[in-house]
Amino acid sequence: MDEFQTGEETTFIVDDVSTIIKESVEAAIGGNTYQHSRVNQWTTNVVEQCLSQLSKLGKPFKYIVTCIIMQKNGAGLQTASSCFWDNSTDGSCTVRWENKSMYCIVSVFGLAI
Amino acid sequence: MSDLAKEKAARLLKKRGSLSSLGSHEIKAKETTGKTKDSISTVSYIDDPGHHDDNPRPAVQMENTYQLSPTRRFPVMTVNDILKDVLASYLQEEKYEAELCRQMTKTISEVVKARVKDLMIPRYKIIVLISIGQLSDQNMRMGSRCLWDVANDTFSSHTFKNSSLFAIANVYGVYSE
Repeated sequence: MDEFQTGEETTFIVDDVSTIIKESVEAAIGGNTYQHSRVNQWTTNVVEQCLSQLSKLGKPFKYIVTCIIMQKNGAGLQTASSCFWDNSTDGSCTVRWENKSMYCIVSVFGLAI
Repeated sequence: MSDLAKEKAARLLKKRGSLSSLGSHEIKAKETTGKTKDSISTVSYIDDPGHHDDNPRPAVQMENTYQLSPTRRFPVMTVNDILKDVLASYLQEEKYEAELCRQMTKTISEVVKARVKDLMIPRYKIIVLISIGQLSDQNMRMGSRCLWDVANDTFSSHTFKNSSLFAIANVYGVYSE
């Protein structure tokens, strides 16, 4: 293997990724109210849609997509992440989405190959 | 309207990515809000420090290692034990309080990352994700999917619960060739 980077951008572009995430979340749970029986399917849908859109970008990246859907009930939630990676090529993006009945937090981590 | 939403979001949910406290990079959390008719979304991310380099590193040409797979695999059980240990020691007697738990999540994620790094597993990139939530009458579902090399990459996860809070810890190990 002589060339790894042929001049094409191999950095994590946050704007593209955040657009993809927002679209996936809207499409999967857009106008819905929290329903316990459907949450499982919703998280799966959100994550799988994000992942398939991300892989369509065609970049040499490994992706980790995490989704948390929480019912609005006055409870608090704190999330933190710590990463050991190559700062110049890898990145992460988090989108917090909410509607009247639930919160949805989607995190995408992209690691260059 | 966007202020109220931001305040609510700040009070109940906060996501802050952080670089290691020992590093000298600046952390900038950028937030942009978008609104549709009945939902609000906020984006936050770490400003890519690679763009701040004054002397950008030239692309390095790596020599072939002729290695097809890692010499040492990611030790899932060991990491599981680390998570159990850290979560229990930090959260055993704690009550959920917004400010305390905010600091706690950041501290715990740094501690877990440091301990996993101490295992010295070569060529593995590590992502640690910690969530601490208040126990009340709500329901919550957390899911994750990964696009990676199934043979070499893996993850380890642990949950902890006491009378007033619950904590979820996820560690992902990704092999970098």
